[in-house]
Amino acid sequence: MSSDHQSSENVSARPAVQIDGVTKSFGNTPALEPCWMKIKRGEFLTLLGPSGCGKTTLLNLIAGFLEADNGELFLGEDLVTQVPPHKREIGIVFQNYALFPHKTVAQNVEYGLRTRGVPKEESRARVKEALSLVKLENFADRKPRQMSGGQQQRVALARALVIRPRVLLLDEPFSALDRNLRVSMQIELKEIQTKLGLTTIFVTHDQNEALSMSDRIAVMSRGRVRHVGSPQEIYEHPKDLFVATFVGDTNLFRARIESSEGRTRLDIGGRKVEISSEQKEPRDLPSAVIVAARPEQCSLTSVESPDAIPATVAVVVYQGSYVELYLECEAAVHGRIMMRDVSKSFFHIGDKVGIRLATKGLNIFGSEQEIG
Amino acid sequence: MWWSVDLFVVKTMSKRPFLGLFASPATLVAISIVAALLAIFQYSLRAYVPGSLRPGGFTIENFAVLWKPMFRKAFLTTFLLCFWTALLTLLAGFPLAYAMVRSKSSLVRGGILITSLTPMFLGEVIRTYSWMIVLGKQGIINVCLLRLGVISEPISLMFTTTGVVIALVHFTLPIVIIMIAAALSHIDWNLEKAAASLGAGRVRIFFTVTLPLATPGLVAATSTAFSWTFSAFATPQMIGGGKVQTISTLVYQVGFSSFNMPLAASLSLAGLLFTIAVLTLFNVGMRKIEKLGDC
Ligand SMILES: Nc1ncnc2c1ncn2[C@@H]1O[C@H](COP(=O)(O)OP(=O)(O)OP(=O)(O)O)[C@@H](O)[C@H]1O
Ligand SMILES: [Mg+2]
Repeated sequence: MSSDHQSSENVSARPAVQIDGVTKSFGNTPALEPCWMKIKRGEFLTLLGPSGCGKTTLLNLIAGFLEADNGELFLGEDLVTQVPPHKREIGIVFQNYALFPHKTVAQNVEYGLRTRGVPKEESRARVKEALSLVKLENFADRKPRQMSGGQQQRVALARALVIRPRVLLLDEPFSALDRNLRVSMQIELKEIQTKLGLTTIFVTHDQNEALSMSDRIAVMSRGRVRHVGSPQEIYEHPKDLFVATFVGDTNLFRARIESSEGRTRLDIGGRKVEISSEQKEPRDLPSAVIVAARPEQCSLTSVESPDAIPATVAVVVYQGSYVELYLECEAAVHGRIMMRDVSKSFFHIGDKVGIRLATKGLNIFGSEQEIG
Repeated sequence: MWWSVDLFVVKTMSKRPFLGLFASPATLVAISIVAALLAIFQYSLRAYVPGSLRPGGFTIENFAVLWKPMFRKAFLTTFLLCFWTALLTLLAGFPLAYAMVRSKSSLVRGGILITSLTPMFLGEVIRTYSWMIVLGKQGIINVCLLRLGVISEPISLMFTTTGVVIALVHFTLPIVIIMIAAALSHIDWNLEKAAASLGAGRVRIFFTVTLPLATPGLVAATSTAFSWTFSAFATPQMIGGGKVQTISTLVYQVGFSSFNMPLAASLSLAGLLFTIAVLTLFNVGMRKIEKLGDC
């Protein structure tokens, strides 16, 4: 635990959390493949992935509720792989709040201070401060069951914050709340987190939540971390097809790459589509590829134009500010694509239309990859 | 009248379907129990006519008789039996229930479940017979202790309060284990995880989270153990062999050996009130203690 053999420079260079090749299996089924990750001080990192991909497992490993099969875990300078949970100084917020039902709000928040033997005076002041941080000063003497879900979750947050944890872990904290409350809780958490400069690891399977709150997102699937990056990187330059399809809406087209005279063209269902050369080097890719285009990278055009991919309107959904169109398209991987028509031209079911893809920012993947 | 029944069903269906349907057998049972209690009550206030099974006129004499030393002693013995049985069952049952709920090994969980449940299917008489074999002068306990040289003469366990308590603990253990296990398994694991993350070690978690949350279950289990012991008849009768007189063995003796039904009725009634009083005091006391734990 001591750092006297390290230079102080080295110490401060350590990230808040460092995961070095940690793995975990339950019996013979691997729940977490070797995982490497560094989380900077004050960073808000989100673990995003479908159910059963190992998010909670990773969180439990960091908290110390599970023992890693391999690998090492650092919190700041300290190697904590073998340290039991109650000595890790980690704050946790659970989906079901996990407030002590037999204690009042104030006693719940005070719990972590009592275990640390913080003097009564100081403890009272810190509880008050924590409760005012989550705007619950007037609820100190209530029992958890006398409070709403959102209020209970704020108590849980205060309880985790009051011990000034090295890292705050939240496992789908807002998924039991209704939509409006969830959004306001997201904003509140983000505010508090920024204000305190708290290193935070947040688990969700809600991509909007991940995109709007995180400094960085780690997209996971089947026990593997697929891509760690800023929300923008994840959305605009997903590392693989899984990430592309799991985060945000994506239309996938089967295509072949043709390169001639330094220019790269895509052959999608017989139509030639020009793409700009900022894309991945075509030679890294097999000739059969899958093109991922966000709905905003697709536009409607006449079916006759030479670079348009032919499609048929199947479903029209009026959404207020735009119209959502579902089109049947032979070149699409799922036979169907989705786009948003802001001009709200009134299409009818059965109309033949052409889809034109943006020439920039398309993502191209080898066609053998897993689709999320 | 079919329509009023229908209306009733429709009304209850809206909130709790089948409530009316399920409640009706319960009502029948409740009515029979109340009727039986009333019968006992009126018996207890009738005079005893020696040599006759028919009770005489109204009197409160029977309750005055209960103040005699023999009956007072039976009340005390019964209370002590219940107290020790409940206490020992709780002490033995809690760790077993805890292991049954929390053990990671399914062998341990299954083992405890089976060994604690099977005695339930044997019935009190058969179990008591087994205990008579174990506790007797030539019983397993004495033979083992003698062979090991722990004792030089066989100790008497048969016809003693200790022997009765041992058998009663075994008799009560299954239900207590099941009740405590039910209480423990309802405690959210995340609460203990949260406590750990807040810096509490295992012992602290146990005393500040697990135990307080299990307390209602422990109170219920202890109350059950107490009233089971109170109503036990075969065990004190067979192992006590007349040397350990409890209220139930006395009721039997007075009612079916002396045929003094009115006195037996008043003794039963007094016993019932006695249990209710003890359990009420216990529950109120526990609630006070729980409140203390809050602050
Ligand atoms: N205690 C356990 N014993 C056996 N398998 C487990 C255990 N805990 C988790 N698993 C398995 O490990 C995998 C990862 O589980 P984990 O709980 O980490 O998923 P998750 O990403 O949190 O999912 P969710 O979004 O549904 O909460 C799952 O396949 C799960 O079945
Ligand atoms: Mg989970």
